[in-house]
Amino acid sequence: MISTLAYGLTIGGILYIISIGLTLTFGTMRIVNFAHALVYTVGAYVVMTVTARIWDNFVFAGLVAVAVAVPLSYLIERFVIRRLYGQSIDYAIIATYAVLLVGVDVVKWLWGATPMPLSDPLNGAFVVLGGVELPLYRILVIAVALVVFAALEVFFRRTMVGKIVVAGLENKEAVRSLGINVDRFFTIVFLIGSALAALGGVLYAPITSIHPYMGFQVLLLCFAVVLVGGMGSIRGSFVAAFVLGLVIAVTGRFWGPAAETMVFVVMAAVLIFKPIEA
Amino acid sequence: MSDDAILRAVGVSKRFGAFSAVTDVDYVLREGEVAGIIGPNGAGKSTFFNLMTGLYAPTQGRIEFRGRDVTRLDAHQRVALGIVRTFQLVSVFGSLSVIENLILSVLRFREGAMKPWRFLFAKAHSVEVEDACLAALQRVGIAHLASAPTSTLSYGDKRRLEIAMSLSLNPRVLLLDEPLAGLGDGEITEVLELVREVCKSVTLVIIEHKISRIVDLVGRLSVMCEGRLLADGDPRRVLEDPEVRRVYWGDKAVAAAS
Repeated sequence: MISTLAYGLTIGGILYIISIGLTLTFGTMRIVNFAHALVYTVGAYVVMTVTARIWDNFVFAGLVAVAVAVPLSYLIERFVIRRLYGQSIDYAIIATYAVLLVGVDVVKWLWGATPMPLSDPLNGAFVVLGGVELPLYRILVIAVALVVFAALEVFFRRTMVGKIVVAGLENKEAVRSLGINVDRFFTIVFLIGSALAALGGVLYAPITSIHPYMGFQVLLLCFAVVLVGGMGSIRGSFVAAFVLGLVIAVTGRFWGPAAETMVFVVMAAVLIFKPIEA
Repeated sequence: MSDDAILRAVGVSKRFGAFSAVTDVDYVLREGEVAGIIGPNGAGKSTFFNLMTGLYAPTQGRIEFRGRDVTRLDAHQRVALGIVRTFQLVSVFGSLSVIENLILSVLRFREGAMKPWRFLFAKAHSVEVEDACLAALQRVGIAHLASAPTSTLSYGDKRRLEIAMSLSLNPRVLLLDEPLAGLGDGEITEVLELVREVCKSVTLVIIEHKISRIVDLVGRLSVMCEGRLLADGDPRRVLEDPEVRRVYWGDKAVAAAS
């Protein structure tokens, strides 16, 4: 059971890291960004390519992956999403979904469609907890998620940009009426969210197999996290991600095929009791 | 064409699809003036404010600030010029503390003055900024609430905070959108007192629904109805205008009065 819980927390940590970007983009700009999944996928592919071809150092490769994701997501923001601010939410869904489809095909063109594994960067090192062997890598993923959470808390509570974004989540026009060019700060938030999506891809790569469609599956789970946690809620996503990660792990232990379905059962239940006010 | 015009709307219209919220409005606000705009609900008063402050772009016409065409400037750029507004629904940030709300307005991130990445990790508090914030809170009489979470404030105190924030922006012209709406009787007297104080130093436009509240305050009154400017001028004259009386009190009242 301990290993099941640890697995759940690992999945939760990764879902949290990826969901941040989605919830922030929705909260600040009212945009549902499907292209987020592309950034995640590219993160996983870059980390694999760099470790295989350039330098077999996971941390270095991860940093390269995040560094690649930022300009990529800037291009998406600048040329697609920025044109959709204030428009009907459907346009953003269609446009960013198109970006995702095109991007996935480019990934297939560059790397091929065959799923590829990435070996455990810690060579299978493990820790013993309560008499159970747990892969050290997965424990580290949980730690990274906690560090990200703490860093974001500091960012949103203690820095000026963070406060502007928090205020903008509440009332964008009021922030604008204080003479603050709020969209520019939303762009910063968008890039932070994208960098984290790539980090999620990097962290998940050694646990799963890397394939062009990996983003679709994770995207659905992340939407569940965002909906359960409350759109635009940074702390809500944190709790929701770990809860849903545990739901996946625990359900999977008893009935494998239902593991991910259960996430949407939970999501549906939450939506029944706490409908979205948009 | 007088030269002391601070804010001018020239043939301004705003349509939302087939609906015309503001239709061909010409309006001149003079330096140092205290002007009121009244009108029934849905008359286009708030839309007119949104056009002046840049939250909406007009479908037609232009907005001038001290003779300069500012129609294409964004809301935040107009604030930097000194065009500042408050909202009908008080717009302070409940998830920040009172003083943090003020910090947002005191620091004033003007276009180009400070690149966002340079203060990405800038600390939110400094002694000078905090002093300026406390002074601004003092001015509206809520300095004792500085560290309180804004969501715990009464509606009247939130309104005062919003006014303090708008004054910290160093306005040349201040547009108050129904500042008395939603306040209790005691709070109305206090906020009106504050507004009287403010208008000594700032050109002011105030939207109000109830005429009686502002008729002593303003030196000039405009009436909007169905997106048009119906009357404009000396408050007493405007209120005697039969067209205004018809819109505001209905035909019967006009018949009874005449």
